[in-house]
Amino acid sequence: MSANLSTGTFRPYTGEKARIARAYDYLVLVLALFLFIGSFHLHFALTVGDWDFWVDWKDRQWWPLVTPLIGITFPAAVQAVLWTNFRLPLGATLCVACLSIGTWIARIFAYHYWNFFPINMVMPSTLLPSALFLDAVLMISNSLTITAIFGGSAFALLFYPSNWPIFGMFHLPVEAGNSQLTVADMFGFQYIRTGMPEYLRIIERGTLRTYGQIATPLSAFCSALLCTLMYTLWWHIGKWFATTRYLNRI
Amino acid sequence: MKTTKKRNVEISVKTINCNEAKPNLQSSLLDYLLLLGMIFSVYMLTLQPAHAHGEKNLEPYVRMRTIQWYDVQWSKQKFNVNDEVSVTGKFHVAEDWPISVPKPDAAFLNISTPGPVMVRTERYLNGKPYMNSVALQPGGDYDFKVVLKGRLPGRYHIHPFFNLLDAGQVMGPGVWLDIGGDEADFTNNIQTINGQAINMETYGLANGIFWHSFWALIGTAWLLWWVRRPLFIVRYRMLHAGLEEELVTPLDRNIGKAILVGVPLLVFVFYTMTVNEYPKAIPLQASLDQILPLSAKVNAGVVEVDTVRAEYRVAERSMKLSLKIKNGSDKAIQIGEFATGGVHFLNKVAPVSQQHDAESVVAAEGLSLDNPAPIQPGEERAVLMTAGDALWESEKLDGLIKDADSRIGGLIFFYDTEGERYVSSVTAAVIPKFN
Repeated sequence: MSANLSTGTFRPYTGEKARIARAYDYLVLVLALFLFIGSFHLHFALTVGDWDFWVDWKDRQWWPLVTPLIGITFPAAVQAVLWTNFRLPLGATLCVACLSIGTWIARIFAYHYWNFFPINMVMPSTLLPSALFLDAVLMISNSLTITAIFGGSAFALLFYPSNWPIFGMFHLPVEAGNSQLTVADMFGFQYIRTGMPEYLRIIERGTLRTYGQIATPLSAFCSALLCTLMYTLWWHIGKWFATTRYLNRI
Repeated sequence: MKTTKKRNVEISVKTINCNEAKPNLQSSLLDYLLLLGMIFSVYMLTLQPAHAHGEKNLEPYVRMRTIQWYDVQWSKQKFNVNDEVSVTGKFHVAEDWPISVPKPDAAFLNISTPGPVMVRTERYLNGKPYMNSVALQPGGDYDFKVVLKGRLPGRYHIHPFFNLLDAGQVMGPGVWLDIGGDEADFTNNIQTINGQAINMETYGLANGIFWHSFWALIGTAWLLWWVRRPLFIVRYRMLHAGLEEELVTPLDRNIGKAILVGVPLLVFVFYTMTVNEYPKAIPLQASLDQILPLSAKVNAGVVEVDTVRAEYRVAERSMKLSLKIKNGSDKAIQIGEFATGGVHFLNKVAPVSQQHDAESVVAAEGLSLDNPAPIQPGEERAVLMTAGDALWESEKLDGLIKDADSRIGGLIFFYDTEGERYVSSVTAAVIPKFN
């Protein structure tokens, strides 16, 4: 387009041109909304999957490790496009908002109305605080490295505490069948899932035993480290994906 | 000038042709859409709900030689929302567990339902309540009870079944359950250890919606803050014109700084508030329950059965088992039933208290013996037992001969003159006879 414009020769759009440019904005926004609702939600469902579907999968070890690690992928890619080309620091928030819309639609219509699960059993987690922070770091720093290190880390570290107000109450202890369970475990026991036996849950399996009962901070910091790498990887995927190479040939 | 005129003529000819072709194209497209619509309508009208659970698709040797169900009974098959119903039964874990199926180190006694149309309120194995998965021992005998509560009205085909880790599902016998009443009446209340009453249908939902909405509001405000300005084309031009400073203003930066400070602060405050509100919160529980088998119910030592040979006659759809049977009891016994893979072959000559399984998998006259006379106390006899019925085919058990592990397993039920029952397991490689 106007790659060779300089400050001196720049003329802002007015009149019809400005109106068309604005209409183009709305067109892209609407398309982006549906694209990210569909694609990011699908990506998230196939990778985070059960950790986000079920309240009795949201453990303190794997849930805070897996969810931000997968959740930072699309935000990084979209930030790469929107920030590099337009200086729009809203890629992460836009992606995560679309993800939230998609997951809520799926939980209400697919899980509740279609498969009869109570919505509280399949309530999604939120990544919005993490996404807001990531966008703000990118805008202030204007640096991939700083955003990857500080934004990526914060994206992971903020996840568990920002979701505890939603899911903390599902961890109250309950006595059932001569054993101690959480309310979340009771959901898993009571509301029958034929294809999801209890043993499939990956709850605190691994070798973090050395650190006793502080699995969450360790998982969060592990996730933070991995998120810095994942962010960088997906930033470059986003840049590689956003090309007009093929359009030029038309 | 001439050239221009000629081109104009050509264009107008093309336009006329296009205009003529348009109605034809539209008409064909409409016909095509109508045909598609009709096919789709017929398809929709003939749709039937699926009532099976894939139980016949599991390879026969897995159904025959893993969990061997018997005496499965439901307390009732018609009940209302909020009513409790229980399913009880027994199962033997086959000694001849297939080598290709992982051992049942983690197994989950489940109920096949189309979603949670019932809730499971209690579950017992060998009389002990248990909530998680359990390790089963090959050769072990178990009895079970699951208590369910009606949640959604409807008619459902329900099985008890085992989820076996890395092996899949092994179905028990199924029945039709009719749940009546109004789903709005359903209640499911539990109590925490601290005595707090919880309505499981709504617990935590309003709170969750509140927090999602709270962050959604802030996120939306951030998005609108940027979307209210011209976006893509204008910003792209300005960026490449070196006007980057105008794209992100000092006010934008200040808001960004506020987010960097405010969001973590809010998260920390809300997290601390929640921790203080629920100081007794515990992590999710995921232990493996340990429940030992009962004293032997199958192969209890009174009646001994040795399987010499098994032949499957494809054309006759019958399995012939050569058995050596030793009656160690003090009364004469008869074979009353042979059960394998969820199919029951009954000996019409012997008095059998028929099991309460679905009728479709009972061959009422499917079992015959070369010598029907009772086996006397202390007698050891070679018996040729024939289990023949079309159920071998309709239940897809005849596929055994095409399995990689073509061995049969099952339970033989003996009855003495006073109705006492002895159960023995049998297992053997199956030799197919094709004519």
